[in-house]
Amino acid sequence: MKQTAEIEEIVGRLAAIAEDPNAYAVEWKARTQRKIIGILPMNFPAEIVHAAGALPVLVQEDNAAITYGRSLLFEFYCGYTRSLVDQAATGKLKIYDGIFLVDHCVALLGAVDAIRFEVPDLPVFLAQFTASMDEDTTRPQVHGRITELRERLEELCGSSVTDEAICRSIEAYNRDRALLRRVYEMRRLGRISLSSRQMQALVKSAMVMDVDEHSQIMTRLVAHLEAGSVHSTGLVKLHLSGHFCHAPRPELLDMIESCGVAVVDDDVYTGYRYISTDVPHKADPITALTQWYFDRNDNVPCSTRAQKSADWESYLANAVEKNGAEGVIVLVAKFCEPHMLYYPELRKELHKRGIPHLLIETEHEGLALEMLKTRVEALIEGIRRSVLSRETA
Amino acid sequence: MSATMEQAKPGQGHQRTAPLANRLMSTRSGGKMVKDYWDNLFSARERGAKVVWYNGAAINPILQAAGVEWCHGEAFGARLAAMHLEAPAQYASESYGYINELCSYARTTLGCALLTKQEMADKVEMDNTPGIPSKEVLASRLPAPDLFVNAYAGCSTGQQWDEISYRMFNKELPFFKVSYPLLWGNKPDAGYLRGEEWEAASRYVANQLHKLIEFLEHETGRPFDWEGLRESMYYIKRASELRMDALNLCKSKPAPAVFWDWVASIAPINFLPGNQALVDYFAEVKTEIKERLAAGVAALPGERYRLAFDGIMNWNRVGWLANKFAEHDAAVVCGRYTHNSFWHEPQLIDPDDPILGMAQHYLLCPFNHSTKNLAEMILRDCETYGIDGIVFHATRTCRSASNGQLLLAQMAQKKGLQTMFFEGDVADESFYKDEVLQSRLEAMLETIDVQRNRSA
Ligand code: SF4
Ligand code: SF4
Repeated sequence: MKQTAEIEEIVGRLAAIAEDPNAYAVEWKARTQRKIIGILPMNFPAEIVHAAGALPVLVQEDNAAITYGRSLLFEFYCGYTRSLVDQAATGKLKIYDGIFLVDHCVALLGAVDAIRFEVPDLPVFLAQFTASMDEDTTRPQVHGRITELRERLEELCGSSVTDEAICRSIEAYNRDRALLRRVYEMRRLGRISLSSRQMQALVKSAMVMDVDEHSQIMTRLVAHLEAGSVHSTGLVKLHLSGHFCHAPRPELLDMIESCGVAVVDDDVYTGYRYISTDVPHKADPITALTQWYFDRNDNVPCSTRAQKSADWESYLANAVEKNGAEGVIVLVAKFCEPHMLYYPELRKELHKRGIPHLLIETEHEGLALEMLKTRVEALIEGIRRSVLSRETA
Repeated sequence: MSATMEQAKPGQGHQRTAPLANRLMSTRSGGKMVKDYWDNLFSARERGAKVVWYNGAAINPILQAAGVEWCHGEAFGARLAAMHLEAPAQYASESYGYINELCSYARTTLGCALLTKQEMADKVEMDNTPGIPSKEVLASRLPAPDLFVNAYAGCSTGQQWDEISYRMFNKELPFFKVSYPLLWGNKPDAGYLRGEEWEAASRYVANQLHKLIEFLEHETGRPFDWEGLRESMYYIKRASELRMDALNLCKSKPAPAVFWDWVASIAPINFLPGNQALVDYFAEVKTEIKERLAAGVAALPGERYRLAFDGIMNWNRVGWLANKFAEHDAAVVCGRYTHNSFWHEPQLIDPDDPILGMAQHYLLCPFNHSTKNLAEMILRDCETYGIDGIVFHATRTCRSASNGQLLLAQMAQKKGLQTMFFEGDVADESFYKDEVLQSRLEAMLETIDVQRNRSA
């Protein structure tokens, strides 16, 4: 009983920070007198900011309704980019000493240009990583861009970013990722009963907190979880897939789980996609961070990258076979081009392997949860029926 | 003299006979050249030619010199939309699983790929959507590819869509990608055609073009025809100079030709072979404009307003839009897509050593700029052409063309220009709201009148 209460307390603490990352960042800055850098998804190596002595905060979608941002970005952009621009227009990005990004999603770039326009004094730096992973010109280009990031951060933070500091930051982030992956592993094995909302809080808090502080808390959490007992639920096991750049709303996750579902795994960005890959050990830390960029896409392929050998669809279907999920819910942020473009490939593979799935499009403005619930229930019903017919066959 | 008279449809808000618009005659031969090009391409396989499917920048001179035939996917999608034949391809892509908010260019072209594949009697997974066309339909006539090249600047979707084309053809075909940095401007010296980032990006892309040539040599088993490339770039440079001269002549008030005439000239400069015929085409266009100036013939005889058009083309509405503006005596004189694109800085091309200048033009894709660069280009054009207001086509499924537009409008307003937005799309007609365009256009023109009266 005490164990459960401890777990709830720890997760609750991380969830509160994930809910309001700005409050955490402002408090951190007051405490440390160091800079806060807003970084943008999905391939930014936070380690380099950490090594510069600043706090890298992965800027999250804000729950507030879009107001002033409407005059800067059209409504047919994904909720994340619209929210970013609205945060700029409503002064919420003022807490940052700079905004840095490496990704080139067309919607994201449009949003960041709007941020530059709206908050002209805020340093904004794009170190565009080439998205095509196949050509031999890409690796040196990415290496060069990380070097530029390092130089720009040195300028901004007023101190040199040494190789040793980057190596230490890499170790710190690897440690934290490993702890989070351990929780994921326990979830796949059915050894813990954290909800998807809680799992999201663990990853989202890692995106915005000081990494050492996060690791300390995670170490305690993992110890408690390891000491817990095995749960056998009888619920239908599902895998959540997709949802780039920002977190699906916790209410949506609650609704899904309320339909007799246990989410056993995911490849959403605010989930396994974020923690999947460690930075390898290399003598030159910039080379190591470059390698990480390539490794991540090998491990959990992403349709924002262009790589002939990477197949998200095979990854997804294989993951489902391994984690025992009986179906998949594909969460697409409305207007997310790279995801819309790839969805038919996922669908084709899931059909081919006989894995039932449901597509849900999410929107910043919220969702018709009751209507969606009917669709989730229909998916679950279908899965239960086919299990039954297999058993009676 | 070449002027033709077309009766425009009467405007909803105007109780008078619609004005007459004089469209250029010389651009008609371009239509024939483009048709011949596609007809020839459709028989590529029977002729035993190797076919490259590519998207994005005009790398056709490189493909030509490599001895392969080139199929520009987007151009074909645009052609289908302009001919109102896009529906079968779009049905095919919908039944394959694409959501209709996805780039309609990509949806159309991938639909064509599905139909081409169906033609090859390969099984493609599609729902039983009514309207999947039979093989006679134009959309399925593209020759199947032997290899892919992606060279899409400015838009991540443009790059990702060929990843899908590659997958649709079972990941078996050779595939090369050219990547472009956005002309973003991190550094203070950055600007249009200047700054350290521009120089570095130019070199980076030029290097990739050399790698592309190596790839093509490998795939064709033939040495690259450098002399052939120099020759076609010589013609392209000459054609481009003539096109830019002709555009410049339209500074004249009233304008002898308008944006819609230039739209008709996009396909020739975008993907037809660089040769004497291309030069002749633009020479004729220029001559016709000069004749018009000498004879006092205007594109819109009743020109009262001079507008700029910003955004990507809306291929299935070009004629309709041309009439709509003509009805209101509004000459659309310049546009981002026509004036800041398609080999529009010919001085950058050195025909003896063309790769760097080519790389630079690819980077100068009108959707590969920061808003700051865009403002520099567009506001300069507004001044050059004596523009009263800017019409922004907010392209529903093209975030690349829509990026920065709301900011540009604010910058333009600060310069005293009027602005209006209308929602449409590059190749999906369902996103049009005709009444919105009509009422906003009228409101903008009225404001221009008020502004003029005040300053009179
Ligand atoms: S990848 Fe998708 S979610 Fe992320 S910024 Fe682009 S459109 Fe938005
Ligand atoms: S979104 Fe626009 S720029 Fe991007 S691929 Fe589609 S049409 Fe081209």
